[in-house]
Amino acid sequence: MVNVHAHTLVPEHRVMNEDEIEEFLEEYDIDRTDLPKIVAGDAAIPDEASVGDVIEIKRDSRTTTTAYVYRLVIEG
Amino acid sequence: MTELKRSIERVIDDSELPKRLRERVRQTMIDREVDDKSVAEEIVQAVSAQYEANRVDPLEPVGTVSAQSIGEPGTQMTMNTFHYAGVAEIDVTQGLPRLIELVDARKKPDTPMMTVYLEDEFADDREKAHEVVWQIESTRILSLGDVSTNVADMRVTITLNEETLEERMIEPETVQERIESQLGVDASLDGTVIEFGPTQPSYRELLQLVEDLRDIVFKGIEDISRVVIRKEELDEGEEFVLYTEGSSFGDVLDIDGVDATRTITNDIHEIHKNLGIEAAREAIINETMETLEEQGLDDVNVRHLMLVADIMTNNGDISSIGRHGISGAKASVLARAAFEVTVNHLLDAAVHGEIDTLSGVTENVIVGKPIKLGTGDVDLRVGTADQ
Repeated sequence: MVNVHAHTLVPEHRVMNEDEIEEFLEEYDIDRTDLPKIVAGDAAIPDEASVGDVIEIKRDSRTTTTAYVYRLVIEG
Repeated sequence: MTELKRSIERVIDDSELPKRLRERVRQTMIDREVDDKSVAEEIVQAVSAQYEANRVDPLEPVGTVSAQSIGEPGTQMTMNTFHYAGVAEIDVTQGLPRLIELVDARKKPDTPMMTVYLEDEFADDREKAHEVVWQIESTRILSLGDVSTNVADMRVTITLNEETLEERMIEPETVQERIESQLGVDASLDGTVIEFGPTQPSYRELLQLVEDLRDIVFKGIEDISRVVIRKEELDEGEEFVLYTEGSSFGDVLDIDGVDATRTITNDIHEIHKNLGIEAAREAIINETMETLEEQGLDDVNVRHLMLVADIMTNNGDISSIGRHGISGAKASVLARAAFEVTVNHLLDAAVHGEIDTLSGVTENVIVGKPIKLGTGDVDLRVGTADQ
């Protein structure tokens, strides 16, 4: 199988720890389920991710230098 | 001039501008040879003022603005399916049909196409690049030799072309074995001549065999009918790039010599399947932007397309814009009914006893209430001064 993460279209994915999640959910005053989703079977998801985790994605943004976005892992 | 004065650098760094904009200001100042601090301050101030003025205000309806910003230039696009023989003589759907195809998230594009980049040693050697081509392009019997049908003897004779076999690195034995396993017949091989026929003499079966023979893929990937090889200029040197008619992204990435870090397809679902949802988002932005640019509509701000791509990939899967996707998933009955197939939505909602909480825009316009956008979402409360 090819290394998906080496592809130029795929940004960096990282599983966040609980403290970080709490912190930023509080900052934006949202629930975990308000986040965009990513399915557990996604090709670029880190191996250790499981349903309910939050993935931090570091995008190479078109409008600023880097943009961080967050996706909640759902079944599928 | 290659560098700015330290004092000017500091003026730029102290501004509230985002990094990328700061970088552009710096570069422009270098190009225009700004060396006066007060001039630099003035420039930064002017840029900052423009930046602030153009930022999205709180409660601004960005979705509506995006829809208009893409919709208006869309009226200037070519209406009919216009095939453009662009890069390397491959027909690709362009213009409005392509844009519609993208936002509708069709399962298969009208004209699937891949751009295959090669790894270093393959990229600058035409011979080696061709080896990869033969692994990708599907080879059928008609490109390997001549097929003749002898009705009197009930036999099909294939005279293989030795040069083609050698070029595509296929053994006559492989061809014979493929035919036997695929058609379920005994085939004889004599040099480069393969002969076979139906087990029972039957005119119909004989013709059927010839039909089936044409569909057998002897080498390469079935979905890819043609590969064009092109030499492309790079900043340093040149490289060979392959363009394919038909797309099979997963299979191609596995082929030896293919650069799996740059190769792309115009099929966003294949990108999603092989590279994940984030890559699909990137691909949607790239494809929509390229479609607009190709029509000379490159002044559409990329932020609008980013918003579209964000919404389409929001639930972890690619959903289309329209009644089967985003608009169909709206919580409000009235909003859905206002879009398409009004009666069905109202009827279903009545049958299931749905409740509309009137929290969106469309439903509030329908019932004549202020919408929760802009000043409509701001409430004032009278209080005391000392509070």
